[in-house]
Amino acid sequence: MKISKKIVLLGHFGVGKSSLIRRFVENTFSEDYKVTIGVHILKKTVTLNKEDKDVSLIIWDLEGNDDINNTRMSYLLGTNGFIYVFDVTRPSTYENLESDLKFIESKYANVPIKVVGNKNDLVTKEFLKQNNDKFGRLTNCYTSAKTGNNVEDLFNKLAGELIK
Amino acid sequence: MLKAYKEKYAKALIQYSIIDLSGLIVESDDVLFPNMVNQNIVDIHPFFECFSPLLLSKNEEFIFSCIHLDYNGKSIIGDVILQTFDGDKFPLLTMHDLTSHYNNYQTTAQVRNESVIHSQILELKNSYLKEKEEFKNTFIANFSHELRDPLTGIITFSDILEKSGLNQQQQNYINIMKSSSNFLKSMIDDILDLSKIEVGKLDLVIEPFDLIELIEDLKSSYTVKAKQRGLEFHSNFSEKLPQILGGDALRLRQVLTNLLNNAFKFTQSGSITFNVSLNQIRAQKASVHFEVVDTGIGIKEENIKDIFNSFTQINNQNSYKGVGLGLSIAKYLVELTKGKINVTSEYGKGSTFSTSINFLATHSLKLNKKPRPKQVAFVKDKKYNILLVEDSEITQLSVLKILASRGQFFLDIVYTPEDVLSKISNYDNEFDLVLMDIKLKENDGDDIAKLIRKLPEKQHRKIPIIALTAKVFKEDLKRYKKAGINDVIKKPFDEVSLLDTMSKYLK
Repeated sequence: MKISKKIVLLGHFGVGKSSLIRRFVENTFSEDYKVTIGVHILKKTVTLNKEDKDVSLIIWDLEGNDDINNTRMSYLLGTNGFIYVFDVTRPSTYENLESDLKFIESKYANVPIKVVGNKNDLVTKEFLKQNNDKFGRLTNCYTSAKTGNNVEDLFNKLAGELIK
Repeated sequence: MLKAYKEKYAKALIQYSIIDLSGLIVESDDVLFPNMVNQNIVDIHPFFECFSPLLLSKNEEFIFSCIHLDYNGKSIIGDVILQTFDGDKFPLLTMHDLTSHYNNYQTTAQVRNESVIHSQILELKNSYLKEKEEFKNTFIANFSHELRDPLTGIITFSDILEKSGLNQQQQNYINIMKSSSNFLKSMIDDILDLSKIEVGKLDLVIEPFDLIELIEDLKSSYTVKAKQRGLEFHSNFSEKLPQILGGDALRLRQVLTNLLNNAFKFTQSGSITFNVSLNQIRAQKASVHFEVVDTGIGIKEENIKDIFNSFTQINNQNSYKGVGLGLSIAKYLVELTKGKINVTSEYGKGSTFSTSINFLATHSLKLNKKPRPKQVAFVKDKKYNILLVEDSEITQLSVLKILASRGQFFLDIVYTPEDVLSKISNYDNEFDLVLMDIKLKENDGDDIAKLIRKLPEKQHRKIPIIALTAKVFKEDLKRYKKAGINDVIKKPFDEVSLLDTMSKYLK
């Protein structure tokens, strides 16, 4: 039986949501920043070896927004999993992390959320440790769309959780 | 007519399709995407996968704005509306092509977001640089401060040793020690000055001063120095120079000393010429031109731009000692007066450094000279009780030795606020003066001074308190004054500066 899951990427503009998806779906990266407006939807099928299943991930790349309340709610209909992305180098993208997560959880109580600190190629491990109080304790993983670090793993892990 | 035009030119931008409950497109026009009939909606684009649960709803309208769709090589950005109905009626899918509108929006958003991100990154870079700069300056200030206690020890004990009946060879050694410690002291002062300049904490103190006295004083010192070095020293001071001007004499002396020292440093033979002339007096301002000409090693043209940079020594030979701050500080100080230092040089032949500085020049300027006693004097046969609040053993010993050499002082040494208050409150031992270190390990001296000033007994509140500190920034001095501290002795201090300041308060 075909399994299809909708994943929505949320977060401020310029944090690298589109780049993460492009790295995951096409394994490419561009330094050029092109603003996403509305929503792009891409699809990739992953094979989960442990579960011996193929899962089609329908990935919704939402327009970045510095206020989560402005997100178009129609985009979130039927979401199976969220990825909340912030930029580890820009405090404005994670300073409302806690309240943004509460907002998502209040509307989608049982939907898994992965919190991702992107652009980890631009900072040191020491920096990430030092910022544990600001974002570290809420973050599931650090990624780099540029180098591909942890990107595949992020989507595969979430896919695994979605079929449990 | 209109109907005919419409038929010819109207561009339809809306596609209507009817879908059955399984997602199969049963009817559709071809306005945006042709050949959709008999296809399942989920095969058209992944966006439509979210329709599966929605198709089963009744009488509902779902609006999705700004969706990027592509099918069979055609891409649009548009709004998608799904309308479901009661009964057996199939849902209606409407797709509006708003590509042009959304592309305009995309351009605006691109500019806005790039600008916001750019300013955020700039702000972060600035705050990072500021933090780094603050760290550097704090480090320099603390490090310099830590150097001052041992330096006080070296200076004090060199003085004491000097008076202990030395033979000529020992006297020579002492002279080397004293000259080395003076050199170290001037380097620490330079580094501290630079850190003050870089954080904008160095302000000029504009007061009347005697220009002729200042340049004649420099002439005397450097004539002696030139003789010792086997160099010629010439000076040309214009007769038109005004005597009394308003300006920061201390900093002017520093600028001229740095320029002259630089000339002496890089001149092995030949001469150094010190010229001072008047450019003009206008609108109660005098512009004075200073020039130092040497026949030293000169500077290569490509290096001239770097000579005023901090920690830069164009000539890296070890024979030229120093950390390369003199010219940098001179440049900063001259810039504080809105002036500029010019340099011309010929490699191998020598250099000329010159600057014009503006001073106040009014007839009302009067010197406020405080005659400095040549010898510090205290009331004969009187004994003074001094309380030293200091936790550095070197400074404790230095003060002890200096005071002991006078035979007129009883010294108590403490370093905790409790001990200070207990000693002062003890009527059997009334203190004539408190010497207060500011940077104690556990406490700040100015906080302890505040406690002393709060004591209930009037006589305790009036004990003169003199701070011993290296921290003499403008805001530090304000803080000490506010804490009730009467005066400050800058570390590292020597016998004369300690006793001189103390004598002002001991009657």
